[in-house]
Order: sequence, then C-alpha cells, then structure tokens
Amino acid sequence: MIPTAGLSFKAVHLAEALAAPAAGLWFEVHAENYMIDGGPRLAMLETLRREKPLSLHGVGLSLAGAADPDADHLAALKSLVRRFQPFLVSEHLAWSRSGGTAFPDLLPFARSREALARVARNIDIAQGALGRQILIENPSLYLALDGHDWSETDFLAELVRRTGCRLLIDVNNVFVSARNLGFAPESYLDALPVEAIGEIHLAGHKPDPALGAALLIDSHDAPVADDVWDLYARLLARMGALPAPTLIERDGDIPAFATLMAERNRAAALMRHRGRAPAYA
Amino acid sequence: MPDLAQFQDAFAEALLAPEPVGRLARAPGFAVYRNTCAHGIVEALRAAYPTVDCLLGEDGFTAAALGFRAEQPPASPVLSRYGAGFPGFLARQPWTSELPYLADVAMLDRLWLEAHLAADRIAPRPPAAAAFQPLRLALHPATRFAWLETPAVTIWLAHRSADGFDDLAPEWRPEGALVTRMGGAALLQPIRRIEHRLLGAVAAGASVPRLGETLGREADLPTLIARLIACGAILPV
Repeated sequence: MIPTAGLSFKAVHLAEALAAPAAGLWFEVHAENYMIDGGPRLAMLETLRREKPLSLHGVGLSLAGAADPDADHLAALKSLVRRFQPFLVSEHLAWSRSGGTAFPDLLPFARSREALARVARNIDIAQGALGRQILIENPSLYLALDGHDWSETDFLAELVRRTGCRLLIDVNNVFVSARNLGFAPESYLDALPVEAIGEIHLAGHKPDPALGAALLIDSHDAPVADDVWDLYARLLARMGALPAPTLIERDGDIPAFATLMAERNRAAALMRHRGRAPAYA
Repeated sequence: MPDLAQFQDAFAEALLAPEPVGRLARAPGFAVYRNTCAHGIVEALRAAYPTVDCLLGEDGFTAAALGFRAEQPPASPVLSRYGAGFPGFLARQPWTSELPYLADVAMLDRLWLEAHLAADRIAPRPPAAAAFQPLRLALHPATRFAWLETPAVTIWLAHRSADGFDDLAPEWRPEGALVTRMGGAALLQPIRRIEHRLLGAVAAGASVPRLGETLGREADLPTLIARLIACGAILPV
C-alpha cells in the first residue's frame, strides 16, 4: 500500500482508525509522546502500526539549537524508529532547548550563515544516529527577526543539499508566516525545491484573540482554511506526477473521526487529480 | 547581530521572565511564543494531575502550574514525565494549608501516572496458591505504593469514580495506596499498613524468610503474598 493522505492519530479514534478501509490512509504521532518505558500507550501504537503505515513526527530535537542534539533524546528517538519502523521521520527547522531548559514550542532564529552550519551539523548528527533520512519542516513564524542571510526556502534547499535530508512542507505554516511577516505565500511555494518534498502538512489556524487577523496562530484546532487548500493545490501542481504523502494535522478541539476523514479524503482526491489544471488559476 | 547561542539565551530568558522587557518583549508576536510555552506546560501538568485539577478548578490549577513551572521548568521535551516535583511544590505553598490532603492527592496522581508509563513485564503464571512458596519476590516495574498521613486515597478514589461523591466525608486518618497495572490500565487501591510494610521490604530486596522476620509472627504471610501476587504488585523471581 502506498501512503497517500493521512491523519494525526488520536487515542479516542483508535477503533475507527484500525477499521478505516480507505486506501493509502496512514497516521502520524508526535515521537515524544511515546518516549516512555511501556504500558497501554505504547501497546496502542503497536496495534495501530500492525494495521496502518506510521510516521514519527519529532518536536523536541531542537535542530536549530546552538548545541548538538541531546544524546539521550536522540537515543530515545532511535529506539522508537527501530521498534515502529515508520515510513517517515520528521523534525522542525526550529529550536526548543536552551541552557538545560526545554520549551514546548518551535522557536525562531535568524537564518544566518552560522545558523546554517549549525542546523546542517545537527541534521547530520541526527541522521547519522538514526541511520536514515529525516524530513525537516518549515515553522510557523510570528516575529520578524534581524540578521537573516538566507530566505527560508533557500535555507531549506541548502540543508537538503548539504545533508541529504528531505522536506516536510506545512502549507498552513507557509500561509500563517506569510500573513504574519508580510510575504506572498505563492512566491514561497514557487521557490521550494519540490523534488525534495517528502511530506506535506495541512492544518487549521485561528486569529490571535487580542490582535485578530493581523496575527494568525498555527493552532491546529480548526479545519484547514480555504486559502490553505488553494495553496495546497498550487503546490501539488508544481509537484506533478509525484505528490508527497499529505497529513491533516489536528491537535485541539478534536472532531469526530468521520469529520477528519472528510478533510483527509479531500486531500487524497486532490492528490489523485494532480494532473488537472489547478483551481486557483 | 548576536550569534545563535546568545540570541537563544536571551530569547529563553525572556520566555521564562515573569514580565519580559526589551525590544523582543514589545513585539506582538513574542507573546505567541510565551503563551504557547506556558500553555504547553500547564496542560501537560493538568493531564498528569487530573485529580488536583478537579480539586483546584481550572483557574486555580493554572495558577499553581505556572508557579511550579517558574520554579522547576522542564529539562526534557518529553512532557509525559514532567512534574515529578509538583506534589512537593504544592506541599510547600502557604495556600495549601487549607487543603492539607492536596499534596497527598497529587502524589497519588503521580504514582498512577508512573504506573501507567512504566515498563512492561509479563508475570509468570502463579502456581496453585497452597503449594506455592517462592523464595524471592520482586516488584512489578509498574508497581507504586505509598503511606500517606491524610485520607487522600479515599478522596482520590471518590474523585476518580464514575459514581461521583455527593457526600464525601472521609475519616481523618492515614491511608495506604497501591497502584498496579494488570492487563491494560493502571489501578489504584487502598492497602493496609502491613501490606505497605511488606511491599517496602520486597522493594528493599528481602527474601521471603526475611519478610517473615520483618513483619512478625502474627502476619499471615502466605495470604498476604498470594494477594499481592494476584493483583500483579509483586512477582516470584
């Protein structure tokens, strides 16, 4: 079975996830939630993995951190990769650790020459330890920082060139960052090295409670917005005959499984019809 | 432009500061990072301490969790394990003197969570009880137990019960708790003082003959051992 469109796995949906007949359906989990010793949570993931392809999405390696990736964390990730044999392993272009403190967020940095060398080194270390290629995801951005030597798309392309990693493009993150920082999301997508894209994320966002639409939050608690579907179609058109496995990412305000499957089926249909003229033209 | 490490140190400091100052802090987008970090930690603690959340209410729990985070921020991105120091933190807060059982209830939430996440180990099938006299016993990796000076076990069980607790008026006395994980789910039950002493002796590596000496002649050791094996707390080794 070739994985096509997938869903974030939620424990409340286990029975429906196992029984879902959709061809190409796969699931993604946050690796950190399974870095535990044993018990029913890991047993549940074993059950899921027996039936469906699995992707491990890390949020804690801090690849853009100023230090090497934490050896214990990398070992825990390696142990999960060995046990569950995921078809994809991904992490973020962000940092989340500093001075012995972990931050449950994906934090920004200036894409300087120094940062490029550091992130490339950290990806090398991670891929070396895991013995496999990983995908790097573009973050959602909320702050205009000084000191960028590279655009994000060129930075990602250069990481691919230097490390042999591939890319996870979160189209919602592109949309949110573009709105918040004031650039055209279409230009961003058009500048990506599409041949390096190994996975796509689609998710929902919300306006900031205080600032409204001037600041969008990548909240993962709402359906995928129409603007993001349009950008997705544009990216698929660029990818041509080889669309990347696409995930409907949902972490909050979890709806019924059937509701998530409807979004997932919409992505699968767009992947199937990738040869058609895109709707946004 | 400061280098990567300098930038991240300053950013991290501003994320943790009670009231950040400076150019970074004035940017509206910075609040998104601050809020996401705080929210992630508060909700991880809330998921780990559901009974404390129930006792304090949403706003009360959030305030307590933020206080704990200021004192003991997570060192690892694996938040399932974060918050081991929360019961002790609660015990030290002046406002918890009005809720003298709160820290003990938090400890029971923690023991339940540790049992839930602990390593698996298949128990050997226990032989017929009458003929069974193991020489050594070991705790199952998921076994947790405690002796508490408050009726926290009664309070904890009432809050976790599907039946509710309309007229909860526990007798004020020390109580013991045992958490085991037979089959799938972690299960917390009350235990007597002698069972707590036996579990402590097993944890310390005492052989079965030594257990007899520790617990005294009045203890019905075979029955105690059989019960603790049957509920999955200890294993013959």
